[in-house]
Amino acid sequence: MKVIETDIAVIGAGPAGLAAALEASRLGKQVTLIERSDDLGGILQQCIHDGFGLVRFKKQLSGPQYAERFIEKLKASDVSLLLDTTVLSIENKVIRAVSPREGVLEIRPGAIVLAMGCRERTRSQVEIYGTRPSGVMTAGTVQRYINLEGYLPGRRAVILGSGDIGMIMARRMHLEGIEVLGVYELMPEVGGLARNVYQCLIDYDIPLHLSTTVREVFGKERLEGVRVVKVDKNRRPIEGTEEDIACDLLVLSVGLIPENELSRKAGVLISPVTQGPVLDESMMTSVPGIFAAGNVSIVFDLVDYVSDSAEAAARGAVRYLDGQAPSAEPLDVIAGENVASLLPTQYRVDYVGDELSFYLRVRKMESNVRVTLRQGKRVIKSKKQLVVRPAEMVTLTLSREDLTLIEPDTPLEIHIET
Amino acid sequence: MVKRLKRIIAEYVDTSQFPINATVREDGVVILEGEAPDWKTADELAHRVAKSKKVRNVINHLSCDGKSLAYIPKKELIDQGRALGTLDEADVIIVGAGVIGSGIARELSKYNLDIVVLEKGDDISQGASKANNGMIHSGNAVVPGTLKAKLNVEGNAMYSDWAADLQFEFKRIGSFGLSYNKKDRHTLWLSWIAGRLNKVPGMRFISPDTFLEMEKDVEVRPRRVLYAPTTAYVDGFEVTIALAENAAMNGVRFHLSTEVVDVDVEDGVVRGVVTDRGLVKGRLVINAAGVFADEIAAMAGDQFYTLHPRKGVIAIFDKEKKGPDRSLNGRPYVHQKNTKGGGVQRTVSGNPLWGPNAVEILDKTDLSVQPEDLDYVMGSGSVVCPGTKRSEIIASFAGIRPADYKEDFIIERSRVVRGFIHVAGIQSPGLAAAPAIAKMVEELTADELGKLSRRGDWNPIREKPVVFSKLSPEEQERLISENPLYGHIVCRCETISEGEIVDAIRRPIPAVTFDAIKRRVRATAGRCQGGFCGPRILEIIMRETGLRPEEVRKQGKDSYIVAGTIRDRCDEADCCETRASAGVSEGIAQETGAHHESD
Repeated sequence: MKVIETDIAVIGAGPAGLAAALEASRLGKQVTLIERSDDLGGILQQCIHDGFGLVRFKKQLSGPQYAERFIEKLKASDVSLLLDTTVLSIENKVIRAVSPREGVLEIRPGAIVLAMGCRERTRSQVEIYGTRPSGVMTAGTVQRYINLEGYLPGRRAVILGSGDIGMIMARRMHLEGIEVLGVYELMPEVGGLARNVYQCLIDYDIPLHLSTTVREVFGKERLEGVRVVKVDKNRRPIEGTEEDIACDLLVLSVGLIPENELSRKAGVLISPVTQGPVLDESMMTSVPGIFAAGNVSIVFDLVDYVSDSAEAAARGAVRYLDGQAPSAEPLDVIAGENVASLLPTQYRVDYVGDELSFYLRVRKMESNVRVTLRQGKRVIKSKKQLVVRPAEMVTLTLSREDLTLIEPDTPLEIHIET
Repeated sequence: MVKRLKRIIAEYVDTSQFPINATVREDGVVILEGEAPDWKTADELAHRVAKSKKVRNVINHLSCDGKSLAYIPKKELIDQGRALGTLDEADVIIVGAGVIGSGIARELSKYNLDIVVLEKGDDISQGASKANNGMIHSGNAVVPGTLKAKLNVEGNAMYSDWAADLQFEFKRIGSFGLSYNKKDRHTLWLSWIAGRLNKVPGMRFISPDTFLEMEKDVEVRPRRVLYAPTTAYVDGFEVTIALAENAAMNGVRFHLSTEVVDVDVEDGVVRGVVTDRGLVKGRLVINAAGVFADEIAAMAGDQFYTLHPRKGVIAIFDKEKKGPDRSLNGRPYVHQKNTKGGGVQRTVSGNPLWGPNAVEILDKTDLSVQPEDLDYVMGSGSVVCPGTKRSEIIASFAGIRPADYKEDFIIERSRVVRGFIHVAGIQSPGLAAAPAIAKMVEELTADELGKLSRRGDWNPIREKPVVFSKLSPEEQERLISENPLYGHIVCRCETISEGEIVDAIRRPIPAVTFDAIKRRVRATAGRCQGGFCGPRILEIIMRETGLRPEEVRKQGKDSYIVAGTIRDRCDEADCCETRASAGVSEGIAQETGAHHESD
């Protein structure tokens, strides 16, 4: 069994892992980047649509183009790459992995950055009855079949869920000649970015049905059709509104979940708020020396923020190795009014970074609001926002000065105030 | 008897509106014909008739909305099969590769016999053998004096040997019957009495405290607890694949995707069968066709029972969910007839399993799951695991019990034709009884074919396939150095390597569909449900078998995974015009260009 000693091990070479590895390497650390597939870039390689990089590069890049900007730098860096290598477990900060070429590997790093990304919710996580035929797949799988493998996943498609991938795949399938019969959304509002409603659905006359869901699928072998039904405001089916649609492909775009199987094996606490690890301001988990980056921590809306969060995690890991990590007891950051999920969920007052961004997702759409960070009755930072939607992440960035206002006793709260 | 039957019919339906006819055959079989108001009534009536004195069994040809369970010959397929000529020849033809057919095949492979198994599905274990709760019942839930009771208790005892030889997962950890109040205690007493009469070893009442000590996750305290220590748990599919693989190793030929559509009988003697892929000649047909066994019997001219499909839905939960390890049968919920009622248990892989329920249906292939099925399953499970939400279910599926109206096993030589053995009505506890059924059929086979001579080279051992994730790092290292494919993890949820998938494709019964691979190695059965590993498995199947992408199946001939390639579709004339007329933006035009370049 080969043993590798390194300063920082980064698990996953998607947008988060690439950014984390580069940042840690830039700060002078020896980095080992572990990736289970043969390629770098993770899911970006199948995202051939544009819209990546607006925040970081002020440009509309495709997924592979965005990844390429990092991959080029990585190749010029001294980051060690372990491709085609799957991590099986993390125990006491020792990583066990396998690869066809190297066999079983033991990697002993000083710090770990978890950057495994997220996974899609599946049929079993939504209430769909009926049979179990082929032809029911997640939007990400459809995307892979079409964009990377060159396969036609079906001929007549219904899409459940108006998340971004669902809408993007509606357009993609339409362009490949698949008949896209409609996008159905359980909620009364669209699940993805507003720009995608226009660019992916309206521009191609693909109908969007809100407050409507797929209740049942038909077909003993291949999917033959679905039964859609309208739902009331409690998301319960309204009897008499059922409609059967003949199709051979049901595409599910019903949400993403941080991928934390390995995090659990490593013993880190999982937050019921983010479904990712409980993280402090330096992106450190409950296990000292293990950090989380990108969609492992919270599902971001834009890849730019994924990269930002990964760099923050890398800086946290470097500071930890250099012995400058904050040591005060963490304060909890509480998800307040209309906050569904947030990052980080903990803060230490002896934080040594220059600034700190809070990322949050809201429960419901509201306009003319203030995003406010409070400590008890004191307002630490507040900003105006025209509109907030569940699909779009809200950020609140605190300067070094703002951070000095935080006192070491009372929990912080973030609210969307109307 | 006709008068009595008329009276019974009148109790169930208004005969002026629904003129139902009962014919009594010489052999005591009653045939019911006519239109019934609904299937529930038709089913209850047939059950009632079967209980009537001197009735051997019931053929239910009653129809509802034009549908019935009467056998209709598939003329086209019969003609097609005859035209194709001989597919194979053997001494023994076993129809059906479920746990019963495979078990019989393995048992008979000890002898100098040429054996074929014909299975209409594209993999073994496609019926009740794969969709059950995997319980090896102790025998305290079956009516004393029945064939079921005898074979259940005998089969249960034989499982330890099967598990040792065939190396499938086997946990003999017992089960509990529970009562919670005075009203439901009688069912527990009935189980106890049945268990005593059936000679179930070790069965006894234990104190609720002992029970709570044994099942630490159970919070609701029962009043009385009946403990059956011999109850065991398996994965029905794994048992079946182990049996079939061992049979194949010992020379049995399995023809998958081969449907028996007729039985050739000459002068009262079986000569072979007609399949949709040609003729198979043989001296003995063993009918282990599951829920379709009544139709195979009809083809041989010896139908004396109808198998009425009774659907059961099972719900599976995440391994991390708390719950009991052994089966708990609580009864204060709606009691259903003709089922042991379902309960709460854990599969051999560690997932909590709730159910099944029991619903009489008319379509033998209807495996759909409806909201009311899960209502029942959730209701019954919540008795012992209160507070469980439906959203916690990670998978639900339906199975069909092949039940006759006597609700007993039918295992006998045909009284009408020579060379035909019925193995029908094998519903629960058929999995538990399977080893004893195989033994019994072995004896019947000797009765049909004369004394059987043993082979000298029979090998009863089927070695367990490699399970990479369960090996020590040293063993993993060694395997990868021998075959690097074991170092390539394809299914991240269940940690399954490419080597294991290739093994499944290359084993004695090749797994070439998604579901066949899933059942053998669990790939696509994990949390991502194949979203991540599906495309990779497709590639592996194509590489190993030479199939084209659209030829790879999930399960069943129409269950393609992908409809073809984008390139094929692009070759159709209108492709690029569609793109142009769609008014593509610049970004999309680039995307389209890239796509054509990469072609």
